[in-house]
Formats: sequence, C-alpha cells, structure tokens
Amino acid sequence: MPARLLLQLSWRNIWRHRRRNAILLCAIAVAVAGVMLLNTMMRGMQEDMMNTAIGNLTGHAKILEPSYLDDPGIERGFAVDDGWQDDLPNNVLGWASRIRIPAVVMSERETRGIQLVGVDPAKESISFLGDAEVEGERLSGPDDARILVGALLAEALDTATGRRLVLVTQGADGRTREAGFRIAGVYRAEIAGLERAFLFTGLSALQRLLDTDKVTEISIRIDGEDLDTSTIEGLAGRFENLAVVSWRQLERQAAAMVEVSGVSIYILFVIVMGALVFGLVNTLVTAVMERLRELGMLRAIGMRPRAVVAQVVVESSAIMAIGVAAGLALARAVFAFVADGIDLTAFDDSLASFGMRPTFVPVFDIRDAVLIAVLSLALSVLASFYPARRAVKIKPLEALRR
Amino acid sequence: MVVECRNVSRTYDDDTVPVHALQGVDFQLGAGEWVSLAGPSGSGKSTLLHVIGGLDQPTDGSVVVDGVEVTTLTAAELSDLRLNKIGFVFQAYNLIPVLSALENVEFILQLQGVDRAERRSRSQQALQSMGIADLENRRPGEMSGGQQQRVAIARAIVTEPVLLLADEPSANLDTSTTRELLEVLQSLNRERGVTILTATHDPMVMGYTTRQVNLRDGSVV
Ligand SMILES: Nc1ncnc2c1ncn2[C@@H]1O[C@H](COP(=O)(O)OP(=O)(O)O)[C@@H](O)[C@H]1O
Ligand SMILES: [Mg+2]
Repeated sequence: MPARLLLQLSWRNIWRHRRRNAILLCAIAVAVAGVMLLNTMMRGMQEDMMNTAIGNLTGHAKILEPSYLDDPGIERGFAVDDGWQDDLPNNVLGWASRIRIPAVVMSERETRGIQLVGVDPAKESISFLGDAEVEGERLSGPDDARILVGALLAEALDTATGRRLVLVTQGADGRTREAGFRIAGVYRAEIAGLERAFLFTGLSALQRLLDTDKVTEISIRIDGEDLDTSTIEGLAGRFENLAVVSWRQLERQAAAMVEVSGVSIYILFVIVMGALVFGLVNTLVTAVMERLRELGMLRAIGMRPRAVVAQVVVESSAIMAIGVAAGLALARAVFAFVADGIDLTAFDDSLASFGMRPTFVPVFDIRDAVLIAVLSLALSVLASFYPARRAVKIKPLEALRR
Repeated sequence: MVVECRNVSRTYDDDTVPVHALQGVDFQLGAGEWVSLAGPSGSGKSTLLHVIGGLDQPTDGSVVVDGVEVTTLTAAELSDLRLNKIGFVFQAYNLIPVLSALENVEFILQLQGVDRAERRSRSQQALQSMGIADLENRRPGEMSGGQQQRVAIARAIVTEPVLLLADEPSANLDTSTTRELLEVLQSLNRERGVTILTATHDPMVMGYTTRQVNLRDGSVV
C-alpha cells in the first residue's frame, strides 16, 4: 500500500474525529511539555552541582599522591618538573598547582580548623577563587605572603582586612610552624561553606614557610565532563607514583547526585508517558472498534491485513508526533521565560547544602528533546499495535456484519 | 468458465446446532453471463457469493475462480484475488466516509499501485459510466442511497474485474432507483461484457439477468 495513501487516509480519519483527537493531542502536548520542562530543571540542577563541585578547588581531575586523600599534609607533597604540561590536549582550559594542608587559624577571639591553600593567583581562573568577589586586595602573586579570608570565617574570627591572623600548621620536616599573616582581603563565595573552609596565600610564600619546593596537588580543568583515558594515561605516565583522580571520585556525593538526577529524568519520563500510553491505547481501541465495519470493508475489497495494521499505527503515531511536537514547542516557549535563571534565594540555605547556587539556570538540552520525541513515538507505535491487531484478527465478513 | 463450484458445502458450527448454509452446491458461471442467485432469505445466497469472492472458506468442495483454486489460498493471496479479480457491491454501500466519490473509486486503484494520472482518468470514466460524474467531489454522507450505490459499482468495476459480485444491491433502494441500477448493470454486462453474479430475492432483478439459479436450504434446485 502506497505511503501517500496511508498518510492521506490517516490524516482524514484524524480530522474526522477532530474533537476527540484534539483532547488526546492536548494531553500528549501538556505531558511532553511538563516532562521536558522538568527535564530542563534537572539538567540545570545537574550542571550547577557539577560546576560547583568542579569549581570548588577540585577541577575535572587532580594529580596527587594517593594517600593524600586519606591523610592530607605537606609530607605527601611532590615536586613538579617544568615542562610537564607541554603536551596537554587542546580541551584543557587550565591547571593550577597548589599546596593544600590542614591548619589552625587564630585571632584574638577565636580558633578554627581550616584548609590552608597556597596558590598562584594567576592560575586560579579555573576555580571559584578566580571570580570571587574580594573586599580589600587580591593576592598579587605566588610570593605574596598575605592571606585571603572567607567572609564568614572573618566574621567568626571577628577580624577584617588589614588585621593579622596566626596560622599553625606542620612543615615538611614534621615540625610545627607558627606564623603571623596579614589579611590582604576578604572573599565571598556563592557557596557559603567554602568561605568557612579555605584560607588562601601565595604558593611560593607558603613553600618557604614549610621549607619545601613541593606541592600537594595539580588541578586540571577541561572543556567537557571528564578527561579522556589517553590524557589520564599520559599524565599517569609522567607522574610516576602519583594518581590522576577524577572529580567523580573526589566529589562522590555531588557525582552521585548528578547520576541520580540523570536517572530520575528517565523514571519520570517513563511514568508520565506510561500513563499517557494507557490513554492513547484506550482512545485507539475505541476508534478501531467503532470503525471495525469500515476496516472490514477495506479488507473485503482487497486491502491486505498488514496494510490495515499499518494504517492504524500510522494514524496513532501521527497524533503522537503532532502532540510531541506541540509539547516540545510549548516547553521551549515556557523555557524562554526562565532561561535567564530562577532566583532561589528564599531557599538559599537548604539548597547550598546540596551544592547548589542561589540562582540556578535551567538547561534546555536538545538531545533530551530528541530522546523524548523518539521514545514517545516508539511507545505509540508499540501501543497502537494492540488495537491494530484487534482490527485484523476478526474476519472481514464478521466485521462487515456489525 | 469464470467460476466453477464443485460439491461446495459450508457448515456453521459456532452455535449448538450446526447450520448447513450450503450443501453440495455445483455451480458454473461462464464469461459474459449475468446470473442471479434467487431463493428465500436464509437459503445460502450470500454464503455462496462470499465463498466465490474469497471472503469465506467452504467447509468442503472446490471453488475455482478464473482458473485459480481459491480454497487453498492464504489470507494475503485472497486479499490480492479480491483486489485484482473481483469487484464487490454490498447491500450497504460500504464507501469510505472520509473520502470523496472520486477518491473512493481511486482508492482501489491506489491499492493496485496504478499511477496518478491513469488512476484519475479511469476513476472519472467509471463515475461517468454510472452517470454520476458531477458528484465526484461529494463524500458519501452527502449523497443519496442510489448515488452511493453507483459509486460502489464504479469502484467495483474500475479495476475491470473478471467478476462482479453484488449481494442484494437493490435492497435499500426504491423501485425507480432499483430500475436505474439494474439498467446500469445490464449495460455493463451487455456492452462491456462484465460477468456478473447477483444475489437477490427481488423479482424485479429476474427480468434483466441472462440466467437464474435457485437456492433452497443451501442446495441448488
Ligand atoms: N456467521 C454465521 N454464523 C452462523 N450461521 C450463519 C452465519 N452466516 C449465515 N448463517 C446461516 O446460514 C444460512 C444461510 O445464510 P445466507 O447465506 O446469509 O442466506 P441468504 O443470503 O440467502 O439470506 C442461514 O441459515 C444463516 O442463518
Ligand atoms: Mg443474504
């Protein structure tokens, strides 16, 4: 049976029951739009969690001494030969070597345990520090022996820019170092927890204090989600005895959340579309039953059973296709209103604990839209087979007699 | 011979008492004939028509249409037989409601894969020979019973079938419309040599046919 004829007949039949089909079509469109919009939220959330996890000094991967993760300290540091970065692949956006060790900070009023991080400020465009708001001055370079303090920590210590803090930590020789540092500036981070955790100073200045030329980590940021295996192998070859650890291992909780939200998108989709398919099948069975006579006649005059099945399947798939297209268009239109971001400051604290920023930006992923469209169509083809089979299971004569 | 039935029986077993709709029917139909199956209601006329048309399978016996034994054909082969060799006209008009008169006639040529231009001209000719060329754009719901039945006949003959089967074609028509219809069938039979088999208990039909076969309780009498 020629495809044009199939489409023509299907189109006329859909039009014949336009009211019923319009209702079905709206249901499909609304469901698809709903799923797609929730999907943009989920993708936005995922992206946000990922960016936050990667931006909070982690990067996409780190090179470090394997035991450092369990027991961080300068004695787990390693020396970096110049030239290690010579043939990094093109998708590497940047890298930064750091010393990151536990320390105790003391003001006149308070004592706190923090992470002391020695950085080369010029390299920190790859982390949140690069675009953090700073009150006072930024660190001028790796030799700058002043410190940057998070706003919340400064508040807790009851201190401010220009004042001094005392830091206690362990040197490369295992002996305690204690030194006074002047506060160059106070930084603000979008995730409040970071302000309490990290205290920054110049990398070379910190190395001098600790009597070492080593670092404890190199963080690498790329354009993409994960380093490819050849890059990881290349790095592992260059740094013997060190590990190349991806952000998924370093930020297990965030990685798990990203994964779970990815799966939940599909669970949601299956539930919504499953319900929809029941409605579709119901409508199709009704439509086929009331046209049984007509379909029987088509077969009586020589239309093959397979062509009759094809006609019913094409008809329902056409409704689904129009519904899905309308739904995705609707989702896209609604998305335009929220594309710039949604202000969630009211829920700030609870969201921050999930590693999310106060405003978050939904993401319309065209691949998800395509996937939803393809899955919906596949579902409708499967769903319409049942009523179509019913139409041809009955003999044409019996159908005609109705 | 266009049709040769030998010892054809059809028994319905679905009820508690088996119904013998046809019992050992021998029947032949030559090219160019117009045979009318006559007999009271329930005598087996429709059943014989359906068996010959490949819409029903006999319980026993042999049915040869245009040289092909139809009792051994598969469902798809029967579809093709009905599409290419047989034209059906049913008691109810059985047109596709969403298609216009012309499209209904064209439909069957589309199933046959005839190209657009030829399809169009042949369908228009068929409608013209039924005297309803001016109704080609009307849908079935916008036509009278007689007009719809003419469209149904146009659809049945547009493929130039070896055999035209019509079951009670005049059952739903008034006397003058029936007469017009019978004249149309007669001219198809006489002028174009179409072989026709009708089933009817309408005595008016008898005057037009070339031969009459009487059925009673499933047997030829
Ligand atoms: N599908 C069926 N199931 C059971 N009995 C049937 C069926 N179709 C026809 N019959 C019976 O077969 C006999 C012949 O019917 P039919 O061929 O329709 O007669 P006619 O067309 O001459 O009125 C009748 O007794 C009828 O009740
Ligand atoms: Mg009958």
